[in-house]
Amino acid sequence: MNGLRQWTGPLTQDLVLKPGDFGLGQVPARLKPDATATTVCGFCSTGCGLNVHLRHGEAINLSAAPGHPVNFGMACPKGWEALTPLRATDRATTPLLRNARGELEPVSWEVALGVFVERFKTIQQEHGPDSLAWLGTGQITTEELAFLGALAKMGMGIRHGDGNTRQCMATAVSAYKQSFGFDAPPYSYTDLEESDVLIFIGSNLCVAHPILWQRVLRNRNRPQIIVIDPRKTETAMAATRHYAIRPKSDLILLYGLAHLLIANGWIDDGYISRHTTGFEDFKEFVTRFTPDAVAGETNLSLQQLQGLAEVIHAGQRVSLWWTMGINQGHEATRTAQAIINLALMTGNLGRPGTGANSITGQCNAMGSRLFSNTTNLLGGHDFENSAHREKVARILEMDVSRIPSQESWAYPRIIEEIDSGKIRGLWVVGTNPSHSWIDQQPLNRSLEQLDFLVVQDMFTSSETVQRADLLFPAAGWGEKEGSFINSERRLGHVKKVARAPGQALADFHIFQLLARAWGCEAMFRHWSSPEAVLQILKELSRDQPCDITGIADYADLSAAGGIQWPCPDKTRLRDAAGDRLESDSGLDGRRLFADGRFFHPDGKARFVFEAPRPLPEVPDANFPLLLLTGRGSAAQWHTGTRTEKSAVLRKLCPPAAYIEINPVDAKLLGIAPGACVCVSSRRGSVLCTAFVTSTISRGQVFIPMHYAVANQLTFPAFDPESAQPGYKACAVKVTPVV
Amino acid sequence: MNGVAFEQTRTLIDELLLEQQRLTAVERFALRHERDAIPAQAKLYRDLLPTRVPDRGEQYAFAVDLDACSGCKSCVTACHNLNGLDEEETWRSVGLLHGGTEANPFQQTVTTSCHHCVEPACLDGCPVLAYEKDPRTGIVRHLDDQCIGCQYCILKCPYDVPKYSYKRGIVRKCDMCASRLDVGEAPACAQACPNSAISITLVSQSSIRAQALEGIFLPGTPDPAYTQPTTRYLSRRGLPEVLAPADAHALRRAHSHPALVVMLVLTQLSVGAFCVETLLRALFPANLMMQLSAVHSLVALAVGLLALGTSTLHLGRPLAAWRAVIGLRTSWLSREIVIFGLFAGLAMLHATGFWFRPMRAFNSAGLSLAVAITGLLGVFCSVMIYHDTRRAFWRGLPVALKFYGTTALAGTAAVLFVTTLQALCSPSVVAQGAYQELTVFLSKSLVIITALKLAVEATVFRHIWNESSGPLKQTARLLTGELAEITTARFLLGLIGGGVLALAFIMQRPAPGISTLGVTLWIFVFIMGGELLERFLFFVAAVPQRMPGGIDA
Repeated sequence: MNGLRQWTGPLTQDLVLKPGDFGLGQVPARLKPDATATTVCGFCSTGCGLNVHLRHGEAINLSAAPGHPVNFGMACPKGWEALTPLRATDRATTPLLRNARGELEPVSWEVALGVFVERFKTIQQEHGPDSLAWLGTGQITTEELAFLGALAKMGMGIRHGDGNTRQCMATAVSAYKQSFGFDAPPYSYTDLEESDVLIFIGSNLCVAHPILWQRVLRNRNRPQIIVIDPRKTETAMAATRHYAIRPKSDLILLYGLAHLLIANGWIDDGYISRHTTGFEDFKEFVTRFTPDAVAGETNLSLQQLQGLAEVIHAGQRVSLWWTMGINQGHEATRTAQAIINLALMTGNLGRPGTGANSITGQCNAMGSRLFSNTTNLLGGHDFENSAHREKVARILEMDVSRIPSQESWAYPRIIEEIDSGKIRGLWVVGTNPSHSWIDQQPLNRSLEQLDFLVVQDMFTSSETVQRADLLFPAAGWGEKEGSFINSERRLGHVKKVARAPGQALADFHIFQLLARAWGCEAMFRHWSSPEAVLQILKELSRDQPCDITGIADYADLSAAGGIQWPCPDKTRLRDAAGDRLESDSGLDGRRLFADGRFFHPDGKARFVFEAPRPLPEVPDANFPLLLLTGRGSAAQWHTGTRTEKSAVLRKLCPPAAYIEINPVDAKLLGIAPGACVCVSSRRGSVLCTAFVTSTISRGQVFIPMHYAVANQLTFPAFDPESAQPGYKACAVKVTPVV
Repeated sequence: MNGVAFEQTRTLIDELLLEQQRLTAVERFALRHERDAIPAQAKLYRDLLPTRVPDRGEQYAFAVDLDACSGCKSCVTACHNLNGLDEEETWRSVGLLHGGTEANPFQQTVTTSCHHCVEPACLDGCPVLAYEKDPRTGIVRHLDDQCIGCQYCILKCPYDVPKYSYKRGIVRKCDMCASRLDVGEAPACAQACPNSAISITLVSQSSIRAQALEGIFLPGTPDPAYTQPTTRYLSRRGLPEVLAPADAHALRRAHSHPALVVMLVLTQLSVGAFCVETLLRALFPANLMMQLSAVHSLVALAVGLLALGTSTLHLGRPLAAWRAVIGLRTSWLSREIVIFGLFAGLAMLHATGFWFRPMRAFNSAGLSLAVAITGLLGVFCSVMIYHDTRRAFWRGLPVALKFYGTTALAGTAAVLFVTTLQALCSPSVVAQGAYQELTVFLSKSLVIITALKLAVEATVFRHIWNESSGPLKQTARLLTGELAEITTARFLLGLIGGGVLALAFIMQRPAPGISTLGVTLWIFVFIMGGELLERFLFFVAAVPQRMPGGIDA
């Protein structure tokens, strides 16, 4: 019968693989590249190197970059699918302006720019300097963030601007600033490999940062991996120990651990006295967090508490890691600082495999933190410091009076003032607050009240774009050049490998056009290209902890696979052949505070603490369950504006909102697995599918934040230090839908 | 903006739009010295590959370290990119098992693709031999250019592996990146797992068989004895006893395969009509039957040919359908095609025997019986096609009762209708005294067959009360839930056509006429409507076996 079988032909040919060269191994013959280039992924803060397969200069395929110092040839599904959203059918290809019939209608760039300038200037003239604001992002390049911040504040005189980084990293920023004297995550990813005890608090690394979990698995010390999380997450499953604490009892637990360590004498007195201040007060403060009290509050047993303290004590290289479980809480900054305190008191800082380490969310959250000119003056400077203002004015060659001497309003305040009518015009760049903001419905009502809402986005379909008066079509990641700064302070180069559709323009170009249209282009005459701006940013960073003056240019960044700050000239260590040094003492894998010197004027780190406060909204008879939110799968990114454009990524996550509920609770409420349920809080009611699972504890439920319904329920609590929303806890009830 | 500023802005817009379209990565940053044929990834995956080729009795197999799989699903996307799959096409998937106890909750992600089974059901079922189990590597390979797009392998595979490409009209599937393995490279999924959870190992086919027959594979998955999957799921920490797929309760309707619905019902009508004709020839006077059979057989033949024509609409590549004869040795689909081909040929001979003098010998009772028996054999092959998939809703006996029930019911209804039509057109038919008895006999048969068939069909509803959530419970839930309206319509149509109207016919014993014809037409229409719906439900409510899926929302 073999004669009757067709072994080859056009259909077979479709799938034939051929050597791809460029170190790729076999690739689909149809998609054999003629060149490759390594770029940095534009989703999360891990900052993976992605190998773009090019033909005639244009991306035709993509794989993870082998040998990249971040990801060693691996990527998560979002990275693998990074090119797909660029081809989405709902890309914005021309500016859109809301017409008299209330529909968004294509207009030319001239008209769009003219309308922007006319409306914003009118609002500013009629309602004063507080009447305009912008909301930025951690998803565009550092050069673009700096341009946006400088153009808006110094060029246009828009007083208030903040980024969506307020939703993810503000807490880490406040905590580090207060404790270390600068927003300075101290670690390198190599610390994940060098610890003998890793403690993850409020971090589902396996799902949120899969490639960092890869780094954990490269650890050859057979480490203890401790996960502290109310849910038995993927990471909790993979850990050596999991502590399912009562939600938001983290601060009490951390103070209780401090108490136990002190009581047992398991602290590093030498380190404390040489490198910190405030320990005595802290020691006194934590005496009230006795094991009995803490066990009661956290739902852990005395043995568990003791065991946890013992593990920390026994570890030679203990690293503590946190993500949104900490950052998004009602007393988040103090909680993050309680982690920092543990590291300080045990001397677990500055040595390999140690640190109090905040894992960042977005690809360029740190670029936003240092250079977006929102909370910090460009380059991690202080708006309220006149020497800083003068330095920045000198470098930017602008009048120092253009630089505000006060911090601008933070995100929650901006929303409040839209509601109060003080802010009349809003410019949203690369973020989707209509979905992502906590307790989203009041925000959406506020947006409707604005005189003018401008949105700058890749797509026409996001919830926020639907409310816009004007849309600027933006080129996306991969369609423009610039740099990102990842969690380990690594600047990486993002390359232009795809053509933007229609008249979409890089955010950088949009800012260039707006500078001209607004009439302030003279101030930005040196901001001619992203690489020119990198040179400006270098100067701005000079003598700051985040000094990057030692980075030459994009080619330098690209060749090195990214360079970590600080990188002043003197640390450009190269061997005789001029090749990069890869050892611990070299350029890569450096951690901060090896010398024990912190960024406060006295060079010492501070113990910062405060009495824990109860949850702002606790479950009661009417709303008896506590709703947690968080990431659902590695295939989803935030509000899904990009990840939902990939058919493959859509297959890798549940298609609609679901709620995790414990089998005991489900039975009591008469909820069958897979049933449709109504979830209500005091803010709203939504429908979800019940996923009945024991990985969530009784009395708690969980909805992934990728589904817009989650933030119709959340309670608008904010950390007073960082103004970051506390997404992780609110009271709800769940009822079956018949 | 004033005029000059406007003009300047215009120029800048044009400049920047032009600039936006310039791609710079290659000229400035293309990786010059990496024009390298040796895969840079190789050092990472070397340990994930066997150090030698399989011996006799061995084959390559995926091994999955469950303890290392943390559910990132990179394997799915890497397979997609590195194999150049279509936009929505995936050959690997990641499901979730969960359970454990209150004190020790448990979840486990499960990455899965083709298991390159020792006894591949896809291969056995394929009518055109488009599957090959490589004698050297054991990889189950699909020959894309041989495939005719019948999708029977999709029904056969208990792990939902073969994927149909509407664009191409064929099925495609994982080949374990055979060409990569050939040159010592790892399959895309193994290359891309950040946790090194997927590796390729050598397994002994006999030990896989022994394990499979003992039911050892992975909890929450179909019985491995059927195809003897070679993937090994390994866990040092062990899996708890209480473990269920995250989508265990999900109700998913299966594909309705409309062309197959029509093809099955019409072939069965055709076969049924020939059988009824054969039976009537034995029971009723030859004079009457000579007249009737000539038309009956012609109608039955026409319907049969229409059915076989319709069946090609189901194929992705109908022009290659002739190849289906080569799978006779293992494929019930091949057998069905060949037998129905024979049936069509005999039926044609038989029917023409009534109309062309030189062929008269063929209108014999003997040939009539041969046509009927061949047809019944064809229906048996149809039954076996579905039985052989091991779907719970498609077990042989109920399927046989349904298919032969349809054969009897649709055949009888068609003959009844055609007979009353003949009576109206040709008074000589009525003149034969037995006409009335014959129509009443047919109507009584309809009532009895309808009652039996509906009773058989209704038996599936009992599974709604099953304790555990097995496939039959899901079928029953689908039929009474999401598909309740169609299920109701199916039973109503059957009861009206084969019940109420047929009983009315029996009681009234109506004389030939246009209103009588109307009644038999309605009987026929209602019965056929009911049967088509029954067959639609037969497909959409047949819950396939599969690997554990993800959370279903």
